[in-house]
Amino acid sequence: MVTAPARAEGATPPARRRRRRPPLAPYLFVAPFLLIFLGFGLYPMAFALQLSFTNWRGAGALEWIGLDNYIYLLTSEDFWGSLANSGVLWLLVIPGQVIVALAIAVALVKARLRNLFIAALVAPFVTPLVAMAQVWIVLFDRDFGAVNLGLRDLGLPAIGWLTDPALAKPTLALLVLWRTTGYAVILLLAGLQSIPSQVYEAARLDGAGAWTQFWRITLPLVMRTVSFYVVIGTLTVFQLFAEPYVVTDGGPFNSTRTAGLYLYDHITNSDLGLGSANSFLLVVMVFALSLASVRILRSREDG
Amino acid sequence: MSTPPKPPARHQLGVVGRYALLVATAALSLAPLAWMLLSAFKPGAEIITDPFRFRVSTMTLDNFRAMLETVPLEIGFRNTAIVVLGKGLLTMLFCPLAGYAFAKYEFPGKRLLFGTVLITLMLPTLVLLVPLLLEMSELGWVNSFPALILPGAIDAFGVFWMRQIVASIPDELLDAGRMDGCGDLRLFRSIVLPVIRPGLAALAVLTFINIYNDFVWPVVVATDPEYQTLQVMLSSLSQTITANQLGADWASVWGQLLAASTVAAVPVFVIFVLLQRHLIKGVMAGSLKG
Repeated sequence: MVTAPARAEGATPPARRRRRRPPLAPYLFVAPFLLIFLGFGLYPMAFALQLSFTNWRGAGALEWIGLDNYIYLLTSEDFWGSLANSGVLWLLVIPGQVIVALAIAVALVKARLRNLFIAALVAPFVTPLVAMAQVWIVLFDRDFGAVNLGLRDLGLPAIGWLTDPALAKPTLALLVLWRTTGYAVILLLAGLQSIPSQVYEAARLDGAGAWTQFWRITLPLVMRTVSFYVVIGTLTVFQLFAEPYVVTDGGPFNSTRTAGLYLYDHITNSDLGLGSANSFLLVVMVFALSLASVRILRSREDG
Repeated sequence: MSTPPKPPARHQLGVVGRYALLVATAALSLAPLAWMLLSAFKPGAEIITDPFRFRVSTMTLDNFRAMLETVPLEIGFRNTAIVVLGKGLLTMLFCPLAGYAFAKYEFPGKRLLFGTVLITLMLPTLVLLVPLLLEMSELGWVNSFPALILPGAIDAFGVFWMRQIVASIPDELLDAGRMDGCGDLRLFRSIVLPVIRPGLAALAVLTFINIYNDFVWPVVVATDPEYQTLQVMLSSLSQTITANQLGADWASVWGQLLAASTVAAVPVFVIFVLLQRHLIKGVMAGSLKG
C-alpha cells in the first residue's frame, strides 16, 4: 500500500534514472538510522505502552492493572498540579516572547552590524544550560544574590525570587526567556527574509505606510514561522526539566514542579508503570496544545 | 537635482527605537554571561558583598584552584569528550548517508521509512525517558558509554536536513559519475560529500553544541560519578563542594560554582565564536521543518 506510489513515481519519465540492479544501496544507507530508531525508539515505546497498564516497579512479573495508572493520574492533584505549573510557565514565556522576538527580528532585517547583534542574542542559547542554571541560583539568592544586593543599594527591600512560591515561576521563566529568545529571533528572521521584496514595493506604490505594511504584509506572511516557533516553544516548555531540576528542585512548595520534573519523580520512586502512563498522557496533551495553538494562529493567517 | 523624499520625523524616531531595542536586548543577553565570567575571578567574599564591582587588583584564580582540588572535573570532561566523539561521529556519518538515500533513490518502502523520520522528529524526548531507561537496565547498560551514546545518535532532524541539502545536487552530476563507473558509495564519497560540505559544517556545529549541553538523558542514565558527563557533574556541584570541603562558606562555594560554570562554557564559546556563521545557518535551517 505504501510502496505503490513510490514505484509509480520512479516510473515517471522526468526521473530518468536507469535501474540496472536491484536497489540495495539505499536500504544499506538508511539501515543505521532505522536500526537506532527501531532499537531505541519504537521498541521502548511499545514496551512502555504495555508497562503503562501494569503496576511494575522495576522488578518481578508484569501485573496487568488495566487503566488504573491513567485513572490514578487523571484524578491526581499532583499530576494536574504539575501540568498547571507548566501551563503557567508557558503563559509567562511564549506569548510575550513571540511578540518581543518578532519586534527584534523586524528591527534586525535592515540593521547595521546585524551579525554582531545576532551573535549576542544567540550566545545564551548555546551556553550550557546547567551552567546558567547555577548562575541563576547565585544571581537570585534572597540573602546574598547580586540582584537583591543591587535592589538594596537602590533602597528597595529584598525579594524572595526563588523562595516565594509566587515568584519562583517568573524567575524560572526569566531563565527560559533569556535562553531561548535568541533562537526565536533567528527563526523569525529567516521567515521575514523569505518574504519577497516585490510585495513591499507594490505596497509602497499603493501608498502603504510602514505600519500598514507590517500589519497587512509582514504579519500575515510570517504567521507560518510564528506558529512553527510556538510549536517548538510549547514542546520546550512542557518538557522543561534541567532548569527546575537545578535551580529550584521543584520548590518552593512544589510551585516549580513542572510536568517534566513530576515524570522524573516516578523514575526516582521506581514507579515505572505509572511513569510510562504519565509519559503518554503528556505526549497527548503536548500534541493537543501544539495543534490548538497552530489552529488559532493559522486562522489569523487567512484573515 | 533629485531630492530624496524627506525623512519624516517619525521615521527617524523609528530608527532610533529600532537600535535602542537591539542594543538593549543584546546587552541583556550578554549581561549574565559577562557577570559569570568576571565574578569567577573574584574572591568569594567579594561576590556576595560587592557583586557589581570588578577590580583588576583583586582578580584571582583561587576559585578555579579550590574547585579543581575537590571536583573531578577532568572526569566530566573526559566523559563528555567520549560521548561527543561517539555520538557525533555516528551523526555525521549516517545522517548524510540516509539523507542521500532519501533524496536521490527510488526504492520500495521509501515513503514509509521517511515517514518514520518525520514521526521521530515530532516525538518529545521526554516520553522516551522511562522506556529507554528500562531498556538500558535490561541490557545492563545503565552507567555505560553505549547508553550515553547510542540512543539518540543519528537524529531525525539531521537526516531530514541532509536530505534537503542533497536534493539540491543536480541529478546530472550523479549521472555523470555513474557513467564513469562510480559505485553508490563512491558517488557519495566523491560527489555528494564535497558538494554538501557547508551543510555538513553547520550540522557538525549544531550537533556538537547539542551533545555537549545535553542533560536530561545523561542525568537519568549516568548516576555513577565515573560515567557522569560534565553537565551532570555541574548540576550537583554545590553538594559535591560542601561534602568535600568541610566548613566551606557560601561565598567560597559560589565562587567555585561560577568558576566551574565558566570552565564548562569555554568550549562552546570557542566553537561559537569561531563557527558562528555555520551555527546560525543550522538554526535557520530548522525553520525549514515548518
